[in-house]
Amino acid sequence: MNLFARQQKIGVLHLTWVAFFVSFIVWFNHAPLMAAIRQTFGLTDQQVSALLILNVALTIPARIVVGMLVDKVGPRVMYSVLLAVSGVLCLAFAFSTSFTMLAITRFLLGFVGAGFVVGIRMVAEWFPAKETGVAQGVYAGFGNFGSAAAAVTLPTLAMYFGGDDGWRYATAVTGIIAIAYAVIYYFAVADTPKGSTYFSPKKTGAMEVTSRGDFFFYVLMQAPLYLALAVLAWKLGPSNLQMLSPEATLLAYAGLMGLYLHTVYDTWRINKDVLHTPVAAIHKYKFRQVAALDIAYFVTFGSELAVVSILPLFFKDTFGLSLAVAGFVGASFGMTTFFARPAGGWLSDKYGRRNVLLICLLGTAAGYFAMSFMTSEIGLVFAVVSTLICSLFVNAGNGAVYSMLPMIKRRLTGQIAGMVGAYGNVGGVLFLTAYSFLSAQSFFFLASIGALLAFVIAFFAIEEPRGQIAEIMPDGSIALIDVT
Amino acid sequence: MTGAKPAISVGQYSVAGRKDRNDDSYGVAVPDGVALQYKGIAMAIADGMSSSDRAKMASETCVKTFLDDYFSTHETWTVKKSAALVLKSVNSWLSAQTNSAKFDGSDLVTTFSGAILKSGMLHVFHVGDTRISLVRNGSIEPLTSDHRVDVGREKNFLTRAMGVKTDVEIDYRAETVEAGDLIVFTTDGIHEFLSSAELAAHLKSDAGLDDIAKAVSDHAYANGSHDNLTCQIVRIDHPGRQDSDAHYAALRALPFPPELEPGMVFEGYRVVRELHTSKRTQVYLAVDADTTAMAVIKTPSVNFEDDPTYLEMFTREEWIGRMISSPHVLNVLQPKNTRRFQYYVTEYFEGQTLRQWMQQHPLASLEAVRPIIEQIAVGLRAFHRKDVIHQDLKPENVMIDSKGLVKIIDFGSSRAASQAEDGSDSQSQGLVGTIDYTAPEYHLGHAGTNRSDIYALGVIGYEMLVGKLPYGKGFAGKRDVARLSYVSARDHRDDLPIWVDDALAKAVAKDPDARTEALSALIEDLKRPSASFEYARPTPLIEKNPLKFWQVLAIALLIGNVLQLMLSLR
Repeated sequence: MNLFARQQKIGVLHLTWVAFFVSFIVWFNHAPLMAAIRQTFGLTDQQVSALLILNVALTIPARIVVGMLVDKVGPRVMYSVLLAVSGVLCLAFAFSTSFTMLAITRFLLGFVGAGFVVGIRMVAEWFPAKETGVAQGVYAGFGNFGSAAAAVTLPTLAMYFGGDDGWRYATAVTGIIAIAYAVIYYFAVADTPKGSTYFSPKKTGAMEVTSRGDFFFYVLMQAPLYLALAVLAWKLGPSNLQMLSPEATLLAYAGLMGLYLHTVYDTWRINKDVLHTPVAAIHKYKFRQVAALDIAYFVTFGSELAVVSILPLFFKDTFGLSLAVAGFVGASFGMTTFFARPAGGWLSDKYGRRNVLLICLLGTAAGYFAMSFMTSEIGLVFAVVSTLICSLFVNAGNGAVYSMLPMIKRRLTGQIAGMVGAYGNVGGVLFLTAYSFLSAQSFFFLASIGALLAFVIAFFAIEEPRGQIAEIMPDGSIALIDVT
Repeated sequence: MTGAKPAISVGQYSVAGRKDRNDDSYGVAVPDGVALQYKGIAMAIADGMSSSDRAKMASETCVKTFLDDYFSTHETWTVKKSAALVLKSVNSWLSAQTNSAKFDGSDLVTTFSGAILKSGMLHVFHVGDTRISLVRNGSIEPLTSDHRVDVGREKNFLTRAMGVKTDVEIDYRAETVEAGDLIVFTTDGIHEFLSSAELAAHLKSDAGLDDIAKAVSDHAYANGSHDNLTCQIVRIDHPGRQDSDAHYAALRALPFPPELEPGMVFEGYRVVRELHTSKRTQVYLAVDADTTAMAVIKTPSVNFEDDPTYLEMFTREEWIGRMISSPHVLNVLQPKNTRRFQYYVTEYFEGQTLRQWMQQHPLASLEAVRPIIEQIAVGLRAFHRKDVIHQDLKPENVMIDSKGLVKIIDFGSSRAASQAEDGSDSQSQGLVGTIDYTAPEYHLGHAGTNRSDIYALGVIGYEMLVGKLPYGKGFAGKRDVARLSYVSARDHRDDLPIWVDDALAKAVAKDPDARTEALSALIEDLKRPSASFEYARPTPLIEKNPLKFWQVLAIALLIGNVLQLMLSLR
């Protein structure tokens, strides 16, 4: 695939990754400016963590809503609306007058994190099977780079505006960019190549599973999506931050419980046949593969969301850097994404998906272990180097997970991707919650243990997907190979 | 893509009985190969109705023609259409003989009861007083009712029969059948002299079907039958209905080919280059490795590896393409080798799509548009002749070469009438076409007809002439169908004659019944003013654009009121 080709689909790819890039800037514009925000409002450490967690919480349910809406209205309208709405929310955040307002707008901005789903759909409409892997890797990798771009530019921009309110103008600029880009995107892309039809997929709620055991496994694996939000409610509740009243907290628990029960019912409704009638072998897939990818992405993408949120502030506080320099150094984690994520996918295609994923998880464990030694004594150079190396594995791991998705059960790829993505966000919430209770060193150590666990699970649960059953012979002819 | 093959066992017995001649005819035809799948099994019985020896000829002609000619009807036709056509032609032949014989007692008149077993359905065709009965679990259900009136004892007349008049009314019904069902064909020499209970008792026997048929006949004879006695018993061993697993397995029996690269040799073709790839398919230019003839290979996208609906559409496209031959429809070729993958080969047609042509020729002249529309119409007619509706005609699916030759290139959404009846048509629900060219009836939940294709052709003609869509945009749903109204082509381009606009308006009429009824009529309408159009009449605004009319009226009234108010306040 030539990214410089003058083809319409390449144009759409560029426009779409920029949309994702802009959404990521907006989503993480608070991280590099957090020191300034903390100063303006005199926030406590716990309030800072609360803002960081709130930012990723709404994304979990929003993904589902956005996923359904994109089926209905198409990716063009969906992305434009998403960017425009988040641009407005971003302006509201920028001109907040209280911590409560900061918290509410930040919570609502979690919505923008669901943009990923929209672009994935757009890319799938435009690229043939052979190229979707690379195209989605470029989309995700270049787009994720938005967090690094925010970290590098926004503190400088805030300094340029100057004064205590510099951060407000810098944040507002990202909101205006988002609104402007929403308009550009709306007029520049189409949902499908000219002449194709945008097929709304058939209405499906829960994912299909193919055995009785997998049914219960699936029901179990859906629980963390609601537990993560319950943890957030607990964190905000009377026993911790006291932002929610006891009644509101109980109401949140009850609501989440109800939602979970509804999900279980939905799962049962779709899959009730499988409880008594065995599925034909040809239709079978192993849910544990999905579960293992859920966990792998929980660790890789989840920790990434957490780390890009906290790193700028961590560097500023630990090494006593200026806002701008801390932003620049803190960006080192998100920086590698634009090549490491596509590379993860590319390596997977070439050297076997299972092996590459396992290596990435092991590398992630080692990287976070190294990062757990980052203190003011050990020096900035070690910190930056270990951050860069760790982020290479984390981002390549994200790419490796996504390259494996279509191999599990082609027809269910969309739903599997939805679940895996949601687990990434759950990871974000839980890692950030853990961070609010731990020292930075213990936090990175915990992330390292998490990655090691994910490695062990993946080692036992994931099988190398079956390859092509046709092979190209040295003379260029194609032979059919018997597979058993 | 169609039902599984049905299977039956047969028992027959026929005897002249107390008459000196046997005028009954009967038979079963089980075809070979694919015809068994597409057309099913034919069975029939007939009782010749006259005193001369030509009675045998009448019944035999009827049965033989039915059993032979039914299988010559087109494989995409429905059972009903195919059988009706065959029986009508037999009837006109018989009645022609009758008329020329001048009622001298040698007229060719016969009863006829025939049935086709296909895809788990038994289609019954019946005229006269022979009978077909369905026996399931020992209980007998008649599938035919006798066409006769009794006048006194032992005297009756047929009210309907083959060969009496030039047109004949044939009873038709379709029944679902199961494995183990018996279909019993009898002439009146049997069923007039045997009660249902007596018949049922014989059918319970474990004896061979031939023996049962003979026993039934002997019993009727013993009961005093004075007519010819014929009994044909068909036991359904497999109704031919396909279970979804087998259907799916058959579809995906062949693996998907890998991505092809230039230089590869694939199934006897050398790949030259990739022509087009999309989410759904890959299309390659290739040369026949032996003859160096150019060809195009189309392969399915792995995106849909386990999607039965997609696989069905893909295989259907080839099947339909193989069936239709027209200079204006892309020719699907026979694969060179025994196929080992899912793919198909078509002729290579070098040109541009009509979409590209339209971009290069905006607001084309009527003279340029006409031959293109005509050629598409010829191509479409080839579809319609085979009872196939294209369903997804759009400028992207039409190609035109430098000499102006036009071909329809894509027919993956087409639907053959014979598929619709065997239940394999998994996409009969939901939209298949591209919104801009999809006829409104699809949005209202109706099945498409030939006229839905005429609608699409009308939209294409409109778009070629004025560069816009006739309703401003495509119908996205039920609401749009009610809300949008036709925008006159002359609103965009006033050099077009009114009658051309009328022709287009009629071709894209929302109501299929009000639409141009045939492709030929559309072509004629675009050539010269049709007598049916009052083309000289200027349309008043209230008809052309009712919304605008009322808006203007309301504003005018408002201004009037305001003026009046101002004047009265002064």
